[in-house]
Amino acid sequence: MSHKGDFLTLLKSQNCHIQLGTDDLNSGSLPFGAAGDSGTHSLEVAEGTTVIAVRYQDGILIAGDRRATAGTSVMYDRAEKVLSIDDYSVLAISGSPAIAYEVARVLEHSFQYFRRSQLQELSVEGKLRMLSRLIRENLPMALQGIGGVIPILALYDMNHQEDENGGKIYFYDALGAHFENAAFAVSGSGSVWIRGILRYLDRWEGGPLAEMDLQKATRTVLRLLDTASEYDVATSGYNPKSRIFPTAKTITREGIRDLPEQQLDEIYTESVDVDYA
Amino acid sequence: MLDEPYRWIEAINDRRDYVEDQLRPGSPVVGLNYNEGMLLLTVGGGQRKIFEVHNRTALSAIGHPAYIEQLRMLATDTASVQGFQNSVDDVTLHRLANFVLGPAIKQAFEAIFGGAPIIKMLLAELGTLGRENQFISISYDGTVVTNRHAQLIGGTDAIENAMNQSLAASDSNDGSLNSTVRLALETWAVGRDLSLQENDETDRPETDESPADPAQIHEVLKTELNEGQIEAAVLDTTRRGNSKFRLLQPEEIENLTAGWL
Repeated sequence: MSHKGDFLTLLKSQNCHIQLGTDDLNSGSLPFGAAGDSGTHSLEVAEGTTVIAVRYQDGILIAGDRRATAGTSVMYDRAEKVLSIDDYSVLAISGSPAIAYEVARVLEHSFQYFRRSQLQELSVEGKLRMLSRLIRENLPMALQGIGGVIPILALYDMNHQEDENGGKIYFYDALGAHFENAAFAVSGSGSVWIRGILRYLDRWEGGPLAEMDLQKATRTVLRLLDTASEYDVATSGYNPKSRIFPTAKTITREGIRDLPEQQLDEIYTESVDVDYA
Repeated sequence: MLDEPYRWIEAINDRRDYVEDQLRPGSPVVGLNYNEGMLLLTVGGGQRKIFEVHNRTALSAIGHPAYIEQLRMLATDTASVQGFQNSVDDVTLHRLANFVLGPAIKQAFEAIFGGAPIIKMLLAELGTLGRENQFISISYDGTVVTNRHAQLIGGTDAIENAMNQSLAASDSNDGSLNSTVRLALETWAVGRDLSLQENDETDRPETDESPADPAQIHEVLKTELNEGQIEAAVLDTTRRGNSKFRLLQPEEIENLTAGWL
């Protein structure tokens, strides 16, 4: 049977349903404290994040802190919030990890299935719409205030090679609308503390972010994550005791690359974790 | 008719003859291991014959394009759903060949009132920790054959035997992609040469497996490449990301065969 490359249609035809908000709502298996329940929301879900994507001279640098929290509790300090979806796409997740990881997984399999079945890569617009669709399907959970996901999708558009930099950054709202930002995007509970700084840096201080080299871009991003951690308890900073660094990836014409810990360590030591005079 | 065993067997034999006649001119496919992965290679007339099925699994086939497409999608859909429902590590070629494709092809072949599956498939799976590389061929009657080092499919058993003999006699492969591509092309040409001869002499005995002359093989290759193009793909262990499949681009193939063809 032909599914025209649509992985969600394939799953439904095989009676395999993804567990985003819509299914839970229809099945009446809402968690305690969900919509329709007049009681208080007593279910604590792990959330709270700062993820950031900036355009630099070779592509996109995308990074995120490692902390997962539930209320005032730190649940996990090694969470991966910057996830490779295919060779040129990275999703940075914020919000409920359970839903966010499922969205990332469905997205990865959807892109792969399209390529394998239709013998061509899904277009950039197709990728954006796929993610919109998943976020929209999760709307019931987002409305209940327990399963919202607001991701950033960064990718390198190989069909625009005439452009010097094919890196693109898109951010979403809770209803699935996507917007492109030419310079940067932030998401998560700590993003409010650094969004204005990014605007300031891009507009006035040191020239456009897109002209930064990788070293400068990494330094900027790590400093911003550190700033977010200073004001947002749900964002972790560098933890020298356990040596937990933020996750950082680059997306360029050559594909996705994880920035090695050693490189992050050097930049932290030299430019972030500095003593006040 | 189904109540009459002899007529059923006769129908199956007729079906076998019919399918083999249809497959005879098919362009062979060669699967070989090399130092950094696995190679699938054929020469075709433009229609793609080598496909990515899953992260570490590739498929190629000869036969009617409609059957190839049907079974390719069956393999892709099954692997995709299994990989999503469980884990991508649970998608194995063994399960795909023996539990999905093999039975489906066998059932179609023996359903004598339906269309005969004009197809032979060659699948490759790149090994992981604890699992070796594996080639599997599936014949039009659903027979599954496994080989860890190399596997090929051709229009007839005689063609496959000749290609296997040529492959076994070769000692020129140093394991690089370069020499593996060349060996695969030579092996392909042995099969193609025999396929052309069989088409010219339909009464040629199938047991004739005399080794082909290297110069003649080279000539066959040159002639065939005037009209056809080399199609090759690798399952590359060095490739970043989950998916290890990569189609070799024309420029890369040209570089790999430069000064040799």
